[in-house]
Amino acid sequence: MVQPQQLMAAQILPRRAWLPRWMTSEHPWPWLLPASALMIVFGIYPLLYALWLSLHKRNPVLRKNVFDPAHNWMKAAADDRVWDAIITTFTYTGIALAIQLALGMAIALLLDTDRKGYGILRAMMTLPLVVPPAVTAMMFLLMLDGSFGVLSRALYETGLWSPQLPILATSSSALAGVLLADIWQWTPFMVLIMMAGLRSLPKEPFEAAAIDGATATQAFLRLTLPMMSRVIAIAVLIRGVDLFRIFDYVKVMTDSGPGTATETLTSYAGRIYFTGDFPYASTLSLLTLVLVIVASTLFMRIFRVRL
Amino acid sequence: MEQSLAKRTLRDIAAVSVVGLFMFPLLWWALTSIKPMYAIFDKDRVVWFDFVPTLINYAVVLLGWSRAELAIDSGSTFGVGGTSSYDSRQTMIDSVVISVGSTALTMMIAVFAAYALSRIAFRGRNGYLNWVLGQRFMPPIAIIVPLVTMYKVAGMRDTDNLFLGYVGLIFIHALINLPIAVLLMKSFFDDVPKDVDEAAMIDGATRWQTFGKIVLPMVRGGVAAAAVLCFIFSWTEFLLSLFLTTIIRTVPVKISTFVTSTGSEWGFISALGTAAIVPGFIFILLVQRHLVRGLTLGSLKE
Repeated sequence: MVQPQQLMAAQILPRRAWLPRWMTSEHPWPWLLPASALMIVFGIYPLLYALWLSLHKRNPVLRKNVFDPAHNWMKAAADDRVWDAIITTFTYTGIALAIQLALGMAIALLLDTDRKGYGILRAMMTLPLVVPPAVTAMMFLLMLDGSFGVLSRALYETGLWSPQLPILATSSSALAGVLLADIWQWTPFMVLIMMAGLRSLPKEPFEAAAIDGATATQAFLRLTLPMMSRVIAIAVLIRGVDLFRIFDYVKVMTDSGPGTATETLTSYAGRIYFTGDFPYASTLSLLTLVLVIVASTLFMRIFRVRL
Repeated sequence: MEQSLAKRTLRDIAAVSVVGLFMFPLLWWALTSIKPMYAIFDKDRVVWFDFVPTLINYAVVLLGWSRAELAIDSGSTFGVGGTSSYDSRQTMIDSVVISVGSTALTMMIAVFAAYALSRIAFRGRNGYLNWVLGQRFMPPIAIIVPLVTMYKVAGMRDTDNLFLGYVGLIFIHALINLPIAVLLMKSFFDDVPKDVDEAAMIDGATRWQTFGKIVLPMVRGGVAAAAVLCFIFSWTEFLLSLFLTTIIRTVPVKISTFVTSTGSEWGFISALGTAAIVPGFIFILLVQRHLVRGLTLGSLKE
């Protein structure tokens, strides 16, 4: 038995005299200091610097930046390539999200069973997630190569596609090629999350529905989907943000080409960067950030989801 | 519900073929890496398995064999005169140093922040969590221009000093991974009942002792899972590693330099690519249990 006096003594004793008071107290800042320092020096400061830079006009002859707050933002608003890039980015994000969500749900339903051997299949399904995106891009670059790519040849031989139009070098199909790489790599993400969602569902409503004679389709639409709405919303939010800032696949597979057919906001900003117009490149990358913030905030408000 | 045999078989077939479809690119990639050049570039047909397997691609990429000698030995002059730019030994070392270093740095910073966010009630806690989440959602491209300038000024970009180059990339990868690690570790700390802390503190431990000696050891599994995810994200990171250094080529950046306008050396690319995938495969199989939680920043638990 611990005596009350001993307990009190124990509470007082271990205070170390040589530590300043704020280190031993319940103050959160010592704990948060390293993280805050990293996020300020490498996150907030560059962000403010980018904002400051975007308010300047680049003089290419003198290679100097002159303060002119509206210049770059007006330029972006009047730049057709920016609008094209925004449309491409939204198209890409929308199509990829829809396909990955639908496929992910279907595959999760398929693999969600306790039967023998399915554990291995589920583990295999996670493997694409760890491939570096640049390597994924390479894989699909190889398989979609116009002359010796195995996927291209399969399409030619089945008559689905003409060898005259190499997939990644044709404006109308290049984006589909890039999407294919994204879908291969990130559908497993959706599968994993949907599977976790399916696992967490209670059994009773489904048993009740089965007794009432509901079909599998009815049970899925009326029970599974509504009960998984939070899980789906979280998955869509995280994936959507990552899709919106796509860079690796486009950079490696098509480098925004052919022409500007696969140019997204990030890849256009990267291209401007290499021309040396840093203020305008900053403006475009901040535009990406603003769109991400607006879209994700709206999404979180509408679907009442919090991470 | 008992399913009929036919239905079960049908499901098995569907499951195996879907997973097989997703495994095909990996299989094809690994297969390409052991093909000799003639089997990769055959213009008339797809070469599946009728070739003599070779490890030459791996020897060039990972052991630094000269490809000019190889070409002459095999009686071809294709590719002779190329530089030894396919030698990726330094790349592998650089990538390991940066991934391990940034993972260690991230975790050291993240466990403290995560513990405070989980345990200590203070004003602005939600705001801080939103800041961390915002950091996760920020496109890296938004800060790339100032970062390049910062790194130039600090001597971490255009430098011969490998150490400074490492430091630069380690810090920026730590920034990218920090939100994931903090939010994930917070969710693991949240799983430990607060009674544990209170009991320890009643027994006379300070906050720091409670954290270091009692709570942190209880979430070892979580630390391991978060560290593995940080390692994988650092290992696969492309954009920042591409812009922020001129002397270091991490694996993804190095691979992207193998694509040239005059034709790509797919044998070497796939050999290095396969080697780049292997560590991730091993690690992810170790953390299957925490994968969903990690990928959703701790908001979904399996």
